[in-house]
Amino acid sequence: MKRQNGTDPGNSSVRRKHKSPQVFFKEIGEILGEYSDGRYLRLSKLQKLIYKILAFFRAIPFAIAGFFKNIGKNIKNAAISLVNEFKDIGSTFAHGDWKTRVSYFVMGFGNITRGQILRGLLFLLFEIVFIVYMIVAGGHWLSLLPSLGKQGPTQSYDPVLDTYTTVYNDNSFKILLYGVLTIFFIIAFIYTWRLNVKQNKLAEQYLKSGKKLKGDKDDLRSMVDEQFYKTLLALPLTGILVFTVMPIVFMILVAFTNYDGAHNGFSNNLFSWVGLDNFNTLFSWQSAGGGQSYSATFGEILAWTLIWAFLATFTNYFLGMFVAMMINKKGIGLKKMWRTILVMTVAIPQFISLLYVSKMFARNGLINLTLKDTLGWISQPLPFWEDATWARVTVILVNIWIGIPYLMLITTGILMNIPADLYESARIDGANAWQQYTKITLPYMLFITGPYLLTSFTGNMNNFNVIYLLTGGAPTNPAASGAAGSVGYTDLLITWLFKITTGAESQYYLASVVGIMVFVVVALISLIVYNVLPSIKNEEDYQ
Amino acid sequence: MASVKLTNVKKVYDKNVVAVHDFNLEIKDKEFVVFVGPSGCGKSTTLRMIAGLEEISEGTVEIDGEVVNDLQPKDRGIAMVFQNYALYPHMSVYDNIAFSLRLKKVPEDVIYDKVTKAAETLGITEYLMRKPRALSGGQRQRVAIGRAMVRDSKVFLMDEPLSNLDAKLRNQMRAEIILLRQKLDTTFIYVTHDQTEAMTLADRIVIMKDGFIMQVGSPDEVFDMPDNLFVAEFIGAPKMNIVKTGLVCENGKYYVTPFGAKIAVDGDKGEMLAERGVKGGEVLLGVRPEHIDLAKAGEDAIPCTLVVDEMMGSELHLHVDTEDGTRMIVRVPTIDISKEERKALVAGAKLYITFGGKAMHLFDPETEKNLLA
Amino acid sequence: MSNNKHHMGMKTLNRLSNSAIYTLLVIISVVWLIPFVFIVLQSFRVESTYQVGYVVPHQWGFQNYINLWNSDFKRWYLNTFIIALAAAVLQTIIVLCMSYTLSRFRFKLRGPLMRFMLILGMFPGMLTMIILYRVLSDLGLTQANAVPGLILVSVASSGMGYYVSKGFFDTIPKSLDEAARVDGATRLQVLYKIILPLAKPIVIYTILTAFMGPWGDYVFARYVAFGTSAGYNVAVGMYSWLTNDQINNMYTTFCAGGVIVALPVTILFLCLQKYYVEGVTGGAVKG
Repeated sequence: MKRQNGTDPGNSSVRRKHKSPQVFFKEIGEILGEYSDGRYLRLSKLQKLIYKILAFFRAIPFAIAGFFKNIGKNIKNAAISLVNEFKDIGSTFAHGDWKTRVSYFVMGFGNITRGQILRGLLFLLFEIVFIVYMIVAGGHWLSLLPSLGKQGPTQSYDPVLDTYTTVYNDNSFKILLYGVLTIFFIIAFIYTWRLNVKQNKLAEQYLKSGKKLKGDKDDLRSMVDEQFYKTLLALPLTGILVFTVMPIVFMILVAFTNYDGAHNGFSNNLFSWVGLDNFNTLFSWQSAGGGQSYSATFGEILAWTLIWAFLATFTNYFLGMFVAMMINKKGIGLKKMWRTILVMTVAIPQFISLLYVSKMFARNGLINLTLKDTLGWISQPLPFWEDATWARVTVILVNIWIGIPYLMLITTGILMNIPADLYESARIDGANAWQQYTKITLPYMLFITGPYLLTSFTGNMNNFNVIYLLTGGAPTNPAASGAAGSVGYTDLLITWLFKITTGAESQYYLASVVGIMVFVVVALISLIVYNVLPSIKNEEDYQ
Repeated sequence: MASVKLTNVKKVYDKNVVAVHDFNLEIKDKEFVVFVGPSGCGKSTTLRMIAGLEEISEGTVEIDGEVVNDLQPKDRGIAMVFQNYALYPHMSVYDNIAFSLRLKKVPEDVIYDKVTKAAETLGITEYLMRKPRALSGGQRQRVAIGRAMVRDSKVFLMDEPLSNLDAKLRNQMRAEIILLRQKLDTTFIYVTHDQTEAMTLADRIVIMKDGFIMQVGSPDEVFDMPDNLFVAEFIGAPKMNIVKTGLVCENGKYYVTPFGAKIAVDGDKGEMLAERGVKGGEVLLGVRPEHIDLAKAGEDAIPCTLVVDEMMGSELHLHVDTEDGTRMIVRVPTIDISKEERKALVAGAKLYITFGGKAMHLFDPETEKNLLA
Repeated sequence: MSNNKHHMGMKTLNRLSNSAIYTLLVIISVVWLIPFVFIVLQSFRVESTYQVGYVVPHQWGFQNYINLWNSDFKRWYLNTFIIALAAAVLQTIIVLCMSYTLSRFRFKLRGPLMRFMLILGMFPGMLTMIILYRVLSDLGLTQANAVPGLILVSVASSGMGYYVSKGFFDTIPKSLDEAARVDGATRLQVLYKIILPLAKPIVIYTILTAFMGPWGDYVFARYVAFGTSAGYNVAVGMYSWLTNDQINNMYTTFCAGGVIVALPVTILFLCLQKYYVEGVTGGAVKG
């Protein structure tokens, strides 16, 4: 009698069949705290599964704690290096020659006097631009940033024409925008100034040790050689900085203001800082505008968003894989044709197919009309978009229709890469088709596509197109009518965000809070998956 | 044609992983130096630092007396052959070889002369218009060498150039590299993990382990007088037998006592031991398989049991177990064994082995240094 | 004998499962193609312009296409085409710069930069719409001038989408770069003499996806061009035909527009399908 899962060899055959619930869970619990190969391997299949699930959740707090510990360590390191920077700045000034010292005030002076004219001029130019900007505009914006403007638009009376004209004074939007830009600029200046000091120190040491300094020609040449990466990155990173980083910083700040349609910052009222008020609004249990509270609405939408993302990701994944495996099967002809038929649908812009399908399922759309008038099978139109459950199911089904071709493509490539000898050896070991799938295909696929699944999950959380073009969030959730925009049962956080900003009240501050919450949820999920999954995976390697 | 000098060269990855420690070496003009060692010993890293493909963390590299630390690879006057050939897949063989010349804006007719000459030397003229993927491994290797040849460089670097070839082709290419070297008459630095390549090609071998140089010397020197246990075991195939044993000193004469036998340490070596004031005690005794003979029972003979016999053609490798279970390898020329004797050499056969004092190496069991070097 | 029988059994089983698969594949193909067939059929329907309960038109004709020609559709189409073309060129350049750099250079800030972009990517892009709209509007690049504005925005941040092509560059052996550098090439020369010729599939993939993107771009385009038909792209324009007050007049015209939009993109896509598949597969594997 082989020992399989009992700890006591004598009774193992009895135990294996009738493991009492206490023993069943005790065995799992024992290794949960203290993992051991031997005891894990002796667990039954079901116990192993439960163990893995429990281990996953058990690892979450550790992963989060580890993350914050890391942050702590990073902050400490940053502080240490900051102190070192200051020390270096001080000692460079104390020990440097006069050229280096002058460069502390006139950037690039040392470079110019040491023959690196181009570099020096660029430093100098940057300093001049910075100083001029700060005097002309930067200081102004910065000084207004704490209040976001003092004087809103006023009416001025023109006695000659006997008319009132509106005089626009401060503009909160611009103050916030240019305030942020100015802060960015100051940071850039400090960094450049530090670079200037560093380079002077280096150049001085170079010359002292008798080496030749790199001249302008070398600088230009290295732009396409050693330093080529800087040249290549300059444009993309500027774009990202201006059109992604800056707007995100701005919008995060908006979450702490009362910027909305009624406080648009220049033509009606200025907006101002409100601290954490908006977060309080979103998380308060007080009913909003007669309906349920914002927090209830947010919770409902978040729950549906997560359910949607989960279902959308995994239905597509498994069905796509299934289709790919069918086409890949030996003996199936016309492989190329099947693939092309599916792939073709990828090419057609989504708004066409989604809008068309949306209208197909509409109350008076093709399907309902066909069933009712042409075929006479139903007397009332089916409530595809009118009933919450119908709408949610239909959305997921249509998403399968949209998603399978992509997944079929992705999985086909990977399936063909699975070494054939794995299957051959499994067949010799006596595995049937289903076992081959669960023991070889699936683990291999999950291993390779793990990161893709994560991005696909977060992508589906933010899948604006499918929801907005199909249902526009409908059907409306009457309980949530008080929340900004009209919230529907198929609304995701992202479509809600859109509705808030385009709604009548344009509560930008609320949209921004929701956006931050989306980020928090996505980041949390990614953090957990990245930190927890590898540890589970390692344990799986023992099998 | 140039000398290469490495002074205190060090390579550190990620602030704390040291790949190469304090590497010092002077390579003379037209010398053929081979860096050899197990994978991860830092040999390739050192070569790549010389080439300029890897930053030098500390120390200086000089080529022809000029410090090249801050120079780009192309400005160092080197040519390099890579392990996986690194042929440009989208260019024909001709374009591959001509690539560096075109970058230097050499006139096309000069390029033509140089490329065809190199191709002739390497015997690849008929493949000049082909793409690399249409070539066999050996042909690709030739193209890679050709590409390096036309650069007329001062130093020729080769990073495991033969390791992707099968055994037969490797032997053939090894011979060709020797011929090439005679033709090119330039400085070669060659990296390999294969000690046979190192022994056959090198003027001097640099044996490395874990980022340290273990020994630098001619093939004869490293074979005959390994500085330490690592070199002794690394050089020579099959590898040297190592036995922990006693060393005794009687009347000024030294003996080792492996497996109960008593073998006198050869006169010269004994004198050396005496000079160094070695008292005796535990030592590591090293004997190369080819220095062990089959013998009859006797005072110096060690009884053992044959476990595996490998017929290599010209020689026979016998894996034997001594009475205390130590595995030894004995290498016997086939020609020395009669047919009857060969028949008796089957697994389980009882044998006696012996070796003379001349062929033995003695190492300190603590420091693993050669007691005689 | 029995062995032979068993063999026969396996064969019939196989045949059975194969015919099941064929049936399933035919059904799948029909389900996937049918909506598109319907769109084409309805675009030729003349007898009524609203939704009906049958598919094959009772009366065929080109009236819907003529309607298209007489509407703002031409303008929208041109707008979209210009945006797509510009995006295809500029976005490809930016993505290639970014991915080549991150694949080939090891500089101090590489790791932090990649992590930073990963985090940036977790913010919903829609969040930035509000401010980008205001900035574009200050620059005069909204409403009727939406086209340059949309190009600017879609190109500016495209560096974030470097993953797929970086994955491809990673598969080109680094020793090729090194060999070329030893041969005397600068990094710039390495890029355009060695890497780019070898990266043809991924260049085509990037161009293709960049070109296809704007055809389906709805939300930001609507935001920027809001209310001004001259600045619409096809998605925004055609969406406006399906609002409740328009749908009964414009439904079949929408179908015709869909055909005109989908046709060139689909043909282009089918020609370059091979590269698209390569990119998509590689992207998933590399994560």
